[in-house]
Amino acid sequence: MKTSVAKLATAVTASAALLGAGHASGEIKIGIAGPQTGPVAQYGEMQFSGARMAIEEINRQGGVMGEELTAVEYDDVCDPKQAVTVANRLVNEGVRFVVGHLCSSSTQPASDIYHDEGVLMITPASTSPGITERGYDLVFRTIGLDSMQGPVAANYLIDQDPERVAVVHDKQQYGEGIATEVRDTLVDAGVEVPIFDGITAGNKDFSSLVTKLKQADVDYVYYGGYHPELGLILRQAERAGLDATFMGPEGVGNKDINSIAGDAAEGLLVTLPPAFEEKPENQDLVEAFEEKGEDPSGPFVLTSYTAVQLIANGIEQAESTDPIEVAGALREGKFETPIGTVEYDEKGDLESFEFIVYEWHSDGTKTPVD
Amino acid sequence: MLDSYFLQQLINGLTIGSAYALIAIGYTMVYGIIGMINFAHGEIYMIGAYTSLIVISGLAALGIAWLPVVLIVALLGAVIVSSSMGWAVERVAYRPVRGRHRLIPLISAIGMSIFLQNYVHLAQGSRNMGFPTLMEGGFTFGDAGSFQTSLSYIQITIFVITLICMAALSVFIARSKTGRACRAVSQDLGMSSLLGINTNRIIATTFVIGAALAAVAGLLLGMYYGSIDPLFGFIAGLKAFTAAVLGGIGSIPGAMLGGLILGVSESMTSGYLSGEYKDVVSFGLLILILLFKPTGLLGKPEVEKI
Amino acid sequence: MNAANFKHALFCAFITLIISYPILGLNLVSAGTSMGLEGASTVTIIGIFMAVAVVFLFQLCRDSAMAKLGQLPRPDFTSNRPPMTEKTRLKIQNIVILTIILGASLWPFIASRGSIDLATLVLIYIMLALGLNVVVGLAGLLDLGYVAFYAVGAYTFALLSQYFGVSFWFALPVGALLAALFGLALGFPVLRLRGDYLAIVTLGFGEIIRILLNNWTSLTGGPNGIGGIPDPTLFGLEFGRRIKEEGNLSFHEFFGIAYDSTHKVIFLYLIALVLAALTFFAVRRLMQMPVGRSWEALREDEIAARSLGLSRTGVKLSAFTIGAFFAGFAGTVFASKQGFISPESFVFLESAIILAIVVLGGMGSQFGVILAAIAVTILPELAREFSEYRMLIFGAAMVLMMVWRPQGLMPMRRIHIELEKQE
Repeated sequence: MKTSVAKLATAVTASAALLGAGHASGEIKIGIAGPQTGPVAQYGEMQFSGARMAIEEINRQGGVMGEELTAVEYDDVCDPKQAVTVANRLVNEGVRFVVGHLCSSSTQPASDIYHDEGVLMITPASTSPGITERGYDLVFRTIGLDSMQGPVAANYLIDQDPERVAVVHDKQQYGEGIATEVRDTLVDAGVEVPIFDGITAGNKDFSSLVTKLKQADVDYVYYGGYHPELGLILRQAERAGLDATFMGPEGVGNKDINSIAGDAAEGLLVTLPPAFEEKPENQDLVEAFEEKGEDPSGPFVLTSYTAVQLIANGIEQAESTDPIEVAGALREGKFETPIGTVEYDEKGDLESFEFIVYEWHSDGTKTPVD
Repeated sequence: MLDSYFLQQLINGLTIGSAYALIAIGYTMVYGIIGMINFAHGEIYMIGAYTSLIVISGLAALGIAWLPVVLIVALLGAVIVSSSMGWAVERVAYRPVRGRHRLIPLISAIGMSIFLQNYVHLAQGSRNMGFPTLMEGGFTFGDAGSFQTSLSYIQITIFVITLICMAALSVFIARSKTGRACRAVSQDLGMSSLLGINTNRIIATTFVIGAALAAVAGLLLGMYYGSIDPLFGFIAGLKAFTAAVLGGIGSIPGAMLGGLILGVSESMTSGYLSGEYKDVVSFGLLILILLFKPTGLLGKPEVEKI
Repeated sequence: MNAANFKHALFCAFITLIISYPILGLNLVSAGTSMGLEGASTVTIIGIFMAVAVVFLFQLCRDSAMAKLGQLPRPDFTSNRPPMTEKTRLKIQNIVILTIILGASLWPFIASRGSIDLATLVLIYIMLALGLNVVVGLAGLLDLGYVAFYAVGAYTFALLSQYFGVSFWFALPVGALLAALFGLALGFPVLRLRGDYLAIVTLGFGEIIRILLNNWTSLTGGPNGIGGIPDPTLFGLEFGRRIKEEGNLSFHEFFGIAYDSTHKVIFLYLIALVLAALTFFAVRRLMQMPVGRSWEALREDEIAARSLGLSRTGVKLSAFTIGAFFAGFAGTVFASKQGFISPESFVFLESAIILAIVVLGGMGSQFGVILAAIAVTILPELAREFSEYRMLIFGAAMVLMMVWRPQGLMPMRRIHIELEKQE
């Protein structure tokens, strides 16, 4: 019963993702696992949109080694428990390449299963360093690490020669991880960090925190977390007359922050991957997204696209669909992708992934800071 | 310096606390009358906030921007929708199970809470919706250069509206015929119905009043916080219930007192300790109060009836 | 169909319009940097008005419809049958349950990996629900923070394995005992509280435990959780592809068969099955023992029970502790199945779901609870296409169930005489 439902689900998603579904000849299944519902569904949307587009493009160009890619999509709601269920289902359906998961807390338990089962996994969004630190040779990512992004932000702050910087985070894996990196770098450079505090994600009242920041008389506030909370902090800080510049990671660099913070978002500093969608060589791709009515500018759209492309390239280079050989090819090769030239180190992390400091504006645009 | 800091945290706490008190009224009245925890009450508050944002956006689209009109229309809209929701919830989920084993209405309420959360989630999406800034500015005290205590207009609005609502409710309960009937029903439901009070109607009225106050809180806190999402009613509901229990459930001044205490203790915890432990302190406070004074601060001691 | 009816129907229809149109019919959208408003699709608008019409018609014909419904024979198969004697009932139950267990233990060898994994989750929920059933169903103590004990079990195993390299088999009893200890420690002060206060205190306790786990980063890893939790071993045989601990043999090498990761999943499933069966029989035995009878006595009438010499605190505490014990069991299995745990898995909603299982199944009824655990865990998986509506339907089902069949799917039955209620 369950398998028949699962088959149905595959059929439905596959036909949705593919223009010409129903090829009886060989196909390579690509699992896409991320949140389609739940509080961070909008980031999941980026992931699915990017990965689907890559699969379509690759199939239009004749597939991989003559075989078509088929998407097998599952929703993990960014819940670690569901992520394990989803991982098992993907394994069950014979999927050997997975693009996912999104949240680090889902990626971590799911990767245990993929590792056991010999499934190759590329996460387009999980930035927690812990994921690639366990010696799993089938785990890759197409995004930088907290440990790369944190220092970029911290070094920028250090260059501004601040007296005091407060570091706040949302007590989640992503936010706290990156905030800790920033604090450590700041402290090493001799900057005073009088406040290192956590808030509860989902909370709405930050007036006490803002008062505290105001009293500590800080020049900069670094926030590790996502945009809903930072938007509110910005707004409540403006109301309370807090005179400090805020900075955050890519999780806050989202147009939604403007609808929450309003004018208070002006001047916010954000570390982001370079705007891949603005690169001239990606313009065809951007047009393809726009034709479909999708927005390629989200931070995880092109990383997901790249993840699929890397799987395809890896398979072609290894001339095999054996995940272990593909992983070997990925480690050795050098690939031209929409996010730039990709090279992997031993752990499965990108050799380099650039982060740029942007200044955010109240109309939702951003300009790079030199 | 410390004093003005303390004062600022106190103002922050009292602001949130008075909003908690508004929500807590709904819990305390319902519990006082039919002895059930209306778990879906936080969701009613959330729906009030959504409705007021919808009304405000609608007015903005029509080009109406004069603040008093916007506020009054938004308030009316939120109160009407939330009260109707409160009435409907009572009718659908609570009236049919009234008088059954006490777990039954509670489960029904938890189910209703999950249902309403997802109803709004599906209709309006899970994104955080930003409230437009309607009121800006405020008063500041203290010398420039050192820490300045600020009291914003929106905080004043919250205090004033809460006080008006509380006063109106107290007069209503004390003086009006329906208010007397409410008190009679909460004393003894069976007896009041024998004396010719339409208890069904009184219970429905209680839900409507509670929902209306929650809607007011929804608008006020929506403006104060700056954004709303479908999940934010649940936590607020839990806090407000804590406030109601703290003050003594069934007692309206108790709800006010409980709300303020809770708000201030939360703000002091985040101000002097860490925001991480805010919820630990409020729940810890609740447990302590219940252990040592189970009827709350202003509640009447309950005699176990045999 | 009189005028009053018509007025009432009109009123209800109007209310329906008010509560559905603004929320469903007007959608907030972020237009650039501010909020805008957008009318919903025509389908939604039509849907709203159809709902209004349905409510109107239903309320209009409510009386006659209800009268007709009342005339229908109620499908009640049990009420008029003379109750079986306790002995035959137990005998039948034994046969049924043994058949089920036998079937369940053979089934994984033909099922797929994904469904075995799901079945393990079902078994974990069965353990949890059977444990909570003792507290809520039998002793009538409303516990809204049950998930805290589940968390204690899971974290005990995770921490012990992380810091001391303890194996699953050692952690299993330790986790369960520690959870029971927590139950005892919490129960001691709070059990003198009245029903709803107890509910809210346990809720607060559950939240406190979760927040502490989340904030105590140096010990629990905070939001990062704890990973690398080992799988259970079979007398020192490991199920992984590679040996994790020195000196252990791997299962496939020992038996000289090819490595198959399904072995591990099946093994875990079988462990969960054994533990769930153990929970089932333990609770059933307890129900027949004096302590079980006193739980129910206290639930039915506290004052009468106390005047008959039962110690209120002692009885309640035993129920609370035993319930927590089984949650600890389930937590250990969960940690082992996941290999990674974080505080996110122990939120209030989890408590609510376990409670819903107990209530849907019929408080006190073990078969009902098992049935409900299966339904609640599997139905959302089957309805993945409707995943957006999953929780909506779940909430609505809880309400409808309470309204129409509050006694649950399979109500608990005990030989008893019911007195006519005097109105």
